[in-house]
Amino acid sequence: MTLGAWLALFVTLVVTAELVRALRHRALRQERWRRFFRHRTTTWGLGILVFLVLVAVAAPLIAPFDPNKQLDIVHLKNHSPSWTFLLGTDVLSRDVWSRTVYGARVSLGIGALGALVAVALGTFVGAVAGYYQRWIDAVLMRGVDVGLALPRIFILLMAVALWDGLPFAALIIVIGLTSWFGTSRLVRAEVLSLRQRDFVVAARALGAGSGRVIFRHVLPNAAAPIIVSAALGVGNVLLLEASLSFLGIGVKPPDPTWGNMIADNAPSIYTAPWSTLFPGLAISLVVLSLNAVADGVRDALDPREEAA
Amino acid sequence: MTGAAWLLRRLVASVAIVFAVVTFVFILIHVAPGRPCPENVDRAVCDELTRQFGLDKSLPEQYVRYLVALAHGNMGNSYANGRPVGTAIAGTIPFTLQLAGAALVLDFLLGLGLGIYQAVRVNRLPDVVLGNVTLFIYSLPTFWLALLLLLVFGEKLRWFPVGGASDPILCPVVNSLYCVVDRLWHTVLPAATLGLVGAAGTARFQRAAMLEVARQDYVRTARAKGLPERRVVLRHQLRNALLTFVTRFGLAFPFLLTGAVLIETIFAWPGMGRLAFDAILLRDYPVVTGTALIASVVVVAGNLLTDILLGLADPRLRVRATTDVEAVTA
Amino acid sequence: MQRRSFPSLTVFLVLGVAGLAACERRGGCTGANCGTIIDAAVAEPGTLLPPSSEDIVANDIGEQLFLKLADVGMSENTLGDEDFQPLLAQKWEWDGPLTLVFHLDPRARWHDGQPVTAADVEFTFNAYNDSVVASPYRPKLHRIASVTQRDSLTAVFRFREQYPEMFYDAVYHMRILPAHKLRPVPRDQWRTAPFGREPVGDGPYRFVRWQPAQSIELVADSTFFLGRPAIRRLIWRFTPNLQVAVQQVIADQADVREQLVTPENVERVRAAKQLAVYTYRGNVYTFLSFNQRAPDDTTKPHPIFADREVRRALAMAVDRASMLKSALGDLAKVPPGPMSALLWIWDPDIRQLPYDTAQANRVLNARGWRDHDGDGVRDKDGQPLAFHILFPTTSVLRRQYALLLQEQFRAIGVRAEIDAVEGAVVNQRVGTGKYDTAILSRANDPSPSSGIAQSWTRAGFGGSNFGRYYNAEFERLVDRAVTATTRDRARPTWRAAMETLNADAPGIFLYALDNYAAVHKRVDNVQFRPDSWAALLRTWRIPPDKLIDRDRVER
Repeated sequence: MTLGAWLALFVTLVVTAELVRALRHRALRQERWRRFFRHRTTTWGLGILVFLVLVAVAAPLIAPFDPNKQLDIVHLKNHSPSWTFLLGTDVLSRDVWSRTVYGARVSLGIGALGALVAVALGTFVGAVAGYYQRWIDAVLMRGVDVGLALPRIFILLMAVALWDGLPFAALIIVIGLTSWFGTSRLVRAEVLSLRQRDFVVAARALGAGSGRVIFRHVLPNAAAPIIVSAALGVGNVLLLEASLSFLGIGVKPPDPTWGNMIADNAPSIYTAPWSTLFPGLAISLVVLSLNAVADGVRDALDPREEAA
Repeated sequence: MTGAAWLLRRLVASVAIVFAVVTFVFILIHVAPGRPCPENVDRAVCDELTRQFGLDKSLPEQYVRYLVALAHGNMGNSYANGRPVGTAIAGTIPFTLQLAGAALVLDFLLGLGLGIYQAVRVNRLPDVVLGNVTLFIYSLPTFWLALLLLLVFGEKLRWFPVGGASDPILCPVVNSLYCVVDRLWHTVLPAATLGLVGAAGTARFQRAAMLEVARQDYVRTARAKGLPERRVVLRHQLRNALLTFVTRFGLAFPFLLTGAVLIETIFAWPGMGRLAFDAILLRDYPVVTGTALIASVVVVAGNLLTDILLGLADPRLRVRATTDVEAVTA
Repeated sequence: MQRRSFPSLTVFLVLGVAGLAACERRGGCTGANCGTIIDAAVAEPGTLLPPSSEDIVANDIGEQLFLKLADVGMSENTLGDEDFQPLLAQKWEWDGPLTLVFHLDPRARWHDGQPVTAADVEFTFNAYNDSVVASPYRPKLHRIASVTQRDSLTAVFRFREQYPEMFYDAVYHMRILPAHKLRPVPRDQWRTAPFGREPVGDGPYRFVRWQPAQSIELVADSTFFLGRPAIRRLIWRFTPNLQVAVQQVIADQADVREQLVTPENVERVRAAKQLAVYTYRGNVYTFLSFNQRAPDDTTKPHPIFADREVRRALAMAVDRASMLKSALGDLAKVPPGPMSALLWIWDPDIRQLPYDTAQANRVLNARGWRDHDGDGVRDKDGQPLAFHILFPTTSVLRRQYALLLQEQFRAIGVRAEIDAVEGAVVNQRVGTGKYDTAILSRANDPSPSSGIAQSWTRAGFGGSNFGRYYNAEFERLVDRAVTATTRDRARPTWRAAMETLNADAPGIFLYALDNYAAVHKRVDNVQFRPDSWAALLRTWRIPPDKLIDRDRVER
């Protein structure tokens, strides 16, 4: 670690703390934010997420080494953590800290993109099914059943095996395309119940078109399950990417993702556990934080609490 | 609608879904670029296989032939080694059932117990601590946990075997009590990996479900009536929360069938997930289609069974069935 | 009341079951012919039918099930018939310069009771030679014109030409097959024939069972005519990868792991109290193959690798010694050409291309490959100097090398991308020429003649010479070397041939592993013949005072 890198890291920590504090101030004035921050884990979860996102953004500043550079394959292979190499080096003498930091970019990006595709598609399908009902609903929901009948790993493996040289971006889209089924059911359930509410009936009576009604009136009130799905979805995609990398399919080397770091270094797990420990911890932390934040969102937007 | 009509409708829908899945897989395979032969055969042999398996016919014609063969109980033969697909899959089913069953038992016992305990002691120290622990375990990548367990309990402590499903010398087939115990012993580590993570999820879910039930009016009424706390918990909360648990149970099982590929790979467990995985990479299409068929049948059957159980227990749930339960599990 | 006795009842039950289970295990085999050896194997074979299988585990198991006519001795001599061990053939003689006559041992029996006859030998040769069976061993037999039976115990081999390794070619490559069992099977179905999953052989061990994805079990044939094997049971246990296999051996759930590969594994095995480490000369070399044909149109030359100077530059840009030190420590050597340490032609003084990045840069510049568009990658006429490195997903070591190579190439402005695919897919792609470069391993026979010709001459086009390397001078030298009657006479010719090949850089020769094997300490008389470690398994012993539980089990 260089002085500049330490400085950048410190600044990132400070900025994170400030951001979280600023958000907590809202809790003083708004009921929803107060409920969000009720549990300590949620605050920590949010803090960790913000920190990791900032780290990913500031990667070139925080990482002292080029993540793909093999520094000295004979002498610096599997070096244990030290002041120079904060998290040690891996089997190809690459700095683990730098790779973890840059890996955050790819992993978080993949998670976000995959979840975005999944949630967007799921919300759309669920809203349409729940709003229009009858045969559209029946057809769409049977489609969802079919989608749920095949496990995701199966479809993904088939996509990768059957199409040689599938670009990774395409793989993310496929991940998204196979992850939306649960969200669609949730959204559908919400839309079904919201549909009968006064404000929707009123909007339709006033002559608003279906699309307008769905987007401006129904969906904003169905925000809770959508946001929760999104948060959990990012975590799922992250775990999925790690699994795929472990199976040998995934982002191509040498670019780091947390998943392929574990895969690359699994054989050295006994002699150099740090090279698999830290990316594994990073994944766990992100998923954990997302779950904590999702809990918080659920508490904040829970309609029962609103009524009480 | 009446129970019988509802059941019939669901059955028909289930069959349709299986049908759709198989068709989808079939089309996917045949639409993909590349030769239909497995990768380790050269052109001459591939041409021969093409003729033998009728791969040069049109897609609809192949599809019909496949369905007809299926109706006779013939799922075709593996391209890689000529074995009948049905035999290959049947060979893996006992192992998959073993693993899935053991994992679910652990999941059920531990998860339910923890979830109920947490709900009873809600917001007190045990609840908070357990809540964090389950959150952490739930967030671990399963294959990472598997590697760790294998290292610690298999190699270092030698409490459990390092992979495999049975002792190859003494128990290649289960023909004695010792072999049953041996099988169980081999199941512990892989089942623990799956079960622990599953239990963490179940505990979280069960706690939330029970707290939700606790808020409902009739439970409050029972409390207000002065019924002993224990009875309130056991009678009302548990019964209703169990219903939603049954739903979760029914959904988890199919995943364990083909989704446990990583665990089966790491622990050298000869289950269906690994068979499917190897077949996909080898482009062994009959095996791939066969496993897709079996997997979807199990999923659909699981869904159906769950819906029936729920419907029997609480008629109100018949319409709602399996909706927002997946949100927590997805 | 009921509630309180419940826990103690469970405890009692569990103890009872455990007790019963433990009692059942006590087996009864004592003496010199007990013993079970479990090998932690990494790849499950596809078929056990010898001509149809090329994978290593199938070969190891084949060694126990099927006999050759004779086999090389520990000296690995392949010239004439010196030091060859008689197996199926009791004795032999020359009946003219091109005719070799074998007399089979009348005691030899197939495991179903039928005697082994010369008809089996004739049938075997015809099968191995049949293009429908498409055996990978077929090219090695091309100098044998025919095999016929003179009577039930006499087989006659007729050769097309005279050369020093006639005897070796006649006996080493083929495992004799039971004609009475295989004649009814159509030749085009041999690859998937049921016989391959339930073989009947004549070797020291007979087949017991094959549990798919789990294990293959063999049991000693107590009536084996060359002596009953001392180890009663052999089990190959399949593991998904090398790591798990090593773990099993360390955790005392397996007895043998014939190759440990990495320094970490050797270290861990040395720390395990019940294991001994054996070393024997390696017979495998691994190299990066350059494809000289264009992958998308194999009638055209490769835009990058058809140019000899470019290949030489790429070979010079790579620090093979450092890569080896990093990945393998002291457990392997940099090969001075396409050979492993097993081959007697190994000579570190053979001239190779030096590690010289300055020269590499100069040559690439001179050939027009410069970074015209400033993206850090050289290009020429719009084509970037970029290619794929192909290798099988199962090999962690090759993956490591691919990443090391990628980085070394990046330093001179060459972009290499990693392509890890399933083993069978690698075979298919290199077989049809649809690749740029691939990291491949070659196992050597004891003699350089068949292997070198197969992989590096025109005879290997459509066979193992995937990159289509051809040099007339090289082929002339190899032909001369193969016909030399003694090793001393052949040595300088081989050296000249290797230097010619090295100068052309048809590939980069990365490493030749020295074999480190882990074997349980209780096993005695452990002999490894370098060309095939399992060839002498039948001579291994476990002394009666060292038997452990799994040895004693009677089943």
